Amino acid sequence: MNSNFSSETAIVGIGATEFSKDSGRTPMELAVEACEAALKDAGVTALDVDGIVTFSSEQNFEIEVARNLRIPSLSHFSMIPHGGGAACGTIGQAASAIFSGSANYVLCYRAFNERSWHRFGSGVQDKHGGAEAFDVTFGWTSPFGLLTPASWVAMFATRYMHLSGATSEDFGRVAVTDRKFAATNPAAFFYERPITLEEHQESRWIVEPLHLLDCCQESDGGQAILVTSLERARDLSNPPAVIASAAQGSTDDQQAMRSYYRDDIARIPEMKLCADQLWKNTGLGPADIQVANIYDHFTPLFLPQLEEFGFCEKGEAKEFLRDGNIDMDGSLPTNTNGGQLGEAYIHGMNGIAEAVRQIRGTSVNQVKNVENALVTAGTSVPTSALILSQDN
Amino acid sequence: MNRDLPRTNEKAETDSKKNDFFHSLTSQIGSVGKIEIARDSVSEPVIRSWCDAMSESNPLYINQNFAEDSKYKGIIAPPAMLQVWTMSGLHLGNQFQRNSEDSPSAEVYQLLDDAGFTGVVATNAAYHYDEMIKPGDLISGSQKLLDVSVEKTTAIGVGHFVTTETTYSNSHGKQVGSMEFRVLKFRPGTGRKNQQKSSRPKPASNNSTDWFWDACNNKELRIQSCDECGNLQHPPAVRCLLCGSVSLDSVAATGKGNLHSWAIAHYPQVPAFNYPLIVGLVELEEGIRLVSNITDIDPEELEIDMPLEVHWLDVNNEFTLHQFRPKENERQKLESRNDKIDKDRDQSSVSDTNESEAQNVEKQVSKLDPAKVQIGDELPISPVEITTLLIVSTALATRDYQDVHHDPKAAQSKGMPDIFMNILTSTGIVSRWINDWAGPAIEWSSIDLKLGTPNHPDDTMTLSGSVTEKTENGDQISLNISFLGKNDRGVHVSGNAEVLLLKNSKQKE
Repeated sequence: MNSNFSSETAIVGIGATEFSKDSGRTPMELAVEACEAALKDAGVTALDVDGIVTFSSEQNFEIEVARNLRIPSLSHFSMIPHGGGAACGTIGQAASAIFSGSANYVLCYRAFNERSWHRFGSGVQDKHGGAEAFDVTFGWTSPFGLLTPASWVAMFATRYMHLSGATSEDFGRVAVTDRKFAATNPAAFFYERPITLEEHQESRWIVEPLHLLDCCQESDGGQAILVTSLERARDLSNPPAVIASAAQGSTDDQQAMRSYYRDDIARIPEMKLCADQLWKNTGLGPADIQVANIYDHFTPLFLPQLEEFGFCEKGEAKEFLRDGNIDMDGSLPTNTNGGQLGEAYIHGMNGIAEAVRQIRGTSVNQVKNVENALVTAGTSVPTSALILSQDN
Repeated sequence: MNRDLPRTNEKAETDSKKNDFFHSLTSQIGSVGKIEIARDSVSEPVIRSWCDAMSESNPLYINQNFAEDSKYKGIIAPPAMLQVWTMSGLHLGNQFQRNSEDSPSAEVYQLLDDAGFTGVVATNAAYHYDEMIKPGDLISGSQKLLDVSVEKTTAIGVGHFVTTETTYSNSHGKQVGSMEFRVLKFRPGTGRKNQQKSSRPKPASNNSTDWFWDACNNKELRIQSCDECGNLQHPPAVRCLLCGSVSLDSVAATGKGNLHSWAIAHYPQVPAFNYPLIVGLVELEEGIRLVSNITDIDPEELEIDMPLEVHWLDVNNEFTLHQFRPKENERQKLESRNDKIDKDRDQSSVSDTNESEAQNVEKQVSKLDPAKVQIGDELPISPVEITTLLIVSTALATRDYQDVHHDPKAAQSKGMPDIFMNILTSTGIVSRWINDWAGPAIEWSSIDLKLGTPNHPDDTMTLSGSVTEKTENGDQISLNISFLGKNDRGVHVSGNAEVLLLKNSKQKE
C-alpha cells in the first residue's frame, strides 16, 4: 500500500447514537442520526459531503443514507468486505479518495440493531448452504457445529494458550480493564458497572476457552466519522485528528474467521502486515504510541495483536497484561472508552471515535500528552489499523 | 344450514355443542371402574424380559442367589413395573373383552376418539410404592377417573387431559402401590410443526468440492493433491496453491492425525447437536488440517497433539461426516483411567453385556457409599441412544401394544412424526439409571414424572440429576432426587424420585 496520503487527511467529525440493547428505532434512523451528529460536530452540512465508505455487512446502503441526509451527489462510494476487520479500512479508503481528489468530505459509518433485531452472536446456523465459493467455505466447519464467531475464535485461543502459556485469567484482564474504563464513561452501556477477575472466571462458558465475559456485547447503535483533507480540517472548529496512516491486511491462506490452515494459528499475520505498513508510513514505532484501541470482540485475540504491533515479544502479551500496561497508568492505556466489551460493539467504529477524542483531549478517560493513537480493527478476518496524530 | 343466521348464533351453537360434549366427558369424574385382575401372576421371566429391555442389572431383580441373601429373601419385581402387571396385553382376533375396556377412562377415551381426539400421549405419572412385589403375586388394580380438562392447546395438539388414579393390591388384598396417570388425548395435525428432529447443516458444496463429500459418504477421507508437484492442500482449491497447476486430483488419507487445537461449544445451542460439543482442528499425518468433531472423550481429557483416528457419522441417511476420536490404545488408556477415577460414570450398561453376571453383581455392590451422599451430589450424566429396537422392545416388555410405539404409519396418522417411547419405559429407564448409581441397597418410595417432548428413533436422551433432599433416620437415609432427561428438541422427562438407602449396606457385604 502506498503511503502518499500520510498526514494529508484528518478526521474532523464524530457522531454516535446512544448505545443500547434495544434502540426502538430502525437501523436507518440510527445511521442518519449518527451521520447528522458527525456533520454537526465538524460544523459542515450534508451539502459538503460527496463520499461515503462503509463496510459489510452494513445494511444501510449509501444511497439510502445519502437520500435521507439530502446529500446531493456522491462521487466516491465503496463498501469494504469482512465486517469489523474493515473499520479502519473505511478511514484509509476515505483518505485515499480525498487525497486522489475523487471526494472532499467522506462519511464513514456503522449502524444496526444487532441485539434487538438480529442477534449478531447467533452465527451462521441457518446460512451459507449455497454453492458459491464463500458459502462453500462454511461447508468445512458448520456441519461440525462451529457456527458462531465465539466458536471460530475459540479454536485460535486454545492454540494460543498452549503455545504462549496465557491463561483464561490473562484474557480476563482485558475484560476487567475494558469494564473499568466503561465504568467511568457515561456513553458506555456498562457505565458504572465494573467487573472483577473473579466474576470473569465465574461467568458461564460460551465456547471454551471463552467465558461469557470474554465476549463483546451485542449492541444497538450507530457511529459515524467524517474525513476530509488536512487543509480543510484546519479551517474547521475542532482540532484535526490527523490520519498519519491507515492500512489494511490480508495474508497467506486467508479465510474469513477460520484461517486454521496456516503454519502458526497463534499469530495474526494480517495484523502484522497492517503494523508493518503503519510503522513504515509514519516512521513511528511502538514507543511513540501513547494510547490504543485494540480490537476486542473476543479477549483472546487481543493478546497476539500486542505482539504483532511489537508492544511485546511473541508469547509475552500475558506478562504485558499482568504488569498492568493497558491500565490508565500503564505504558499503553487501551480501550479507554471501555472497548467493545464495555462501551458497545459497533464493529470497531466507536474505537476510532475514542482515538479522535484522545487526540482532541476530550475523552472522559483522557490520557496525558497524547501525540499518537493506534486503532486496530478485526482479528481472524482481513484486518485494518490506523494511527491518528496531533496536527503539529 | 340457514345462511342468514348471524355468525354470532353459529358460534353460540358451536359453543353449546362443545358444552354438551364437555359435560358428557366429565360426567364420569369420580367414578371407580371394576377391579382389574392381572391375567397372570408376577413371574421371573417377565421381570427378566423387562430388565433386559431397560438394561436394568440390579441383582435384586435378576440374581436368585443375591436376592435370597437380601432382606426380601428372594427376587423382587422392579418397582417401576408396578403398572405392567395389569396391562391388558396383546389383543388380536376374537378374544373375550378385557376388564380394562370397562374402565371409566376407557369410556372417556372412546368419547374423545369419536370426537376426533384420536392422538394419545402420556404426560404425567406419579407412582407410590408401598410394598415390594414378588414372583407369584397376583396384582389387581382399581381405577378412578380424577379429572378431564377443558380443551387445551398444546405443542402436540389441541386436546383434553385425562387424569386417573389406580391403586394396586396383591393377592392378600394388601395395597402394593398407586399411580396417578395423565394422558393428553389430542386432535392429530393441530400441533406446532417442527417435531422432526432438525439435522446438522449439510456441507455446502459445489462441483469443485463434491468429490470430498462423496468420498465421506463412502467412509473415505480424501485430500486434494497436485498431479504436478504432489502438494496436498485443504480446503480444496481450483489451483494448486504451491505451483499453480490446474491438474488436481485427490489421495486417500490414512485417517490418522493429532489434535492441533479445539473449541468446546456450550452456547448458543442448535437442536442438531449435543452440548457441550467438542470441535477439533485435526492435523492429519499427511500434514494438512481439517475441522471435525472429537468424540469418545471427555473435554477435560483433551490434550494438544494427542493422536486421533477417523470414524464416521451418518446423518439421517443423507450424508456422512468424518469424526475423530482418540486412537484405539489411547482410548483404552482413557477408559481405564476413567474407571479408576470415576467408578460411577455411566459407561452405559450396554457395554457391560459381555461381563458375567457375577462381575455385574460385584460392580453393583461396590458402588455408592450411602453415608457419603450429600445434597447437591450429581448423578452421572448418562446419554441413552433411542433406537427403534429400544422403543419397540421396551413397549413390548411393558406389555404396551399401542400402535404408536411400534408402527410408524400409525404414529403418523395420530399426529406424530414417528414411533415414540412409552411412559412406562421412561419410568423404567430413569429408575434403572438411579439404581445404577445407588446400587441394590436402594429402596423405592415414589417417583413422579412429567413428560415433555417425545423420544423418537435417532434421538439421544441425556439423563442428569442431583440429590435435592436428604434426611437421616438411624441407618436409613431418605433422598429426594430430581432428574431431567433431555433430547435434542427439549426436555423429554423431568421429575423427582424418593428413595431410601441403608447406611451400613456397604459394610454388610
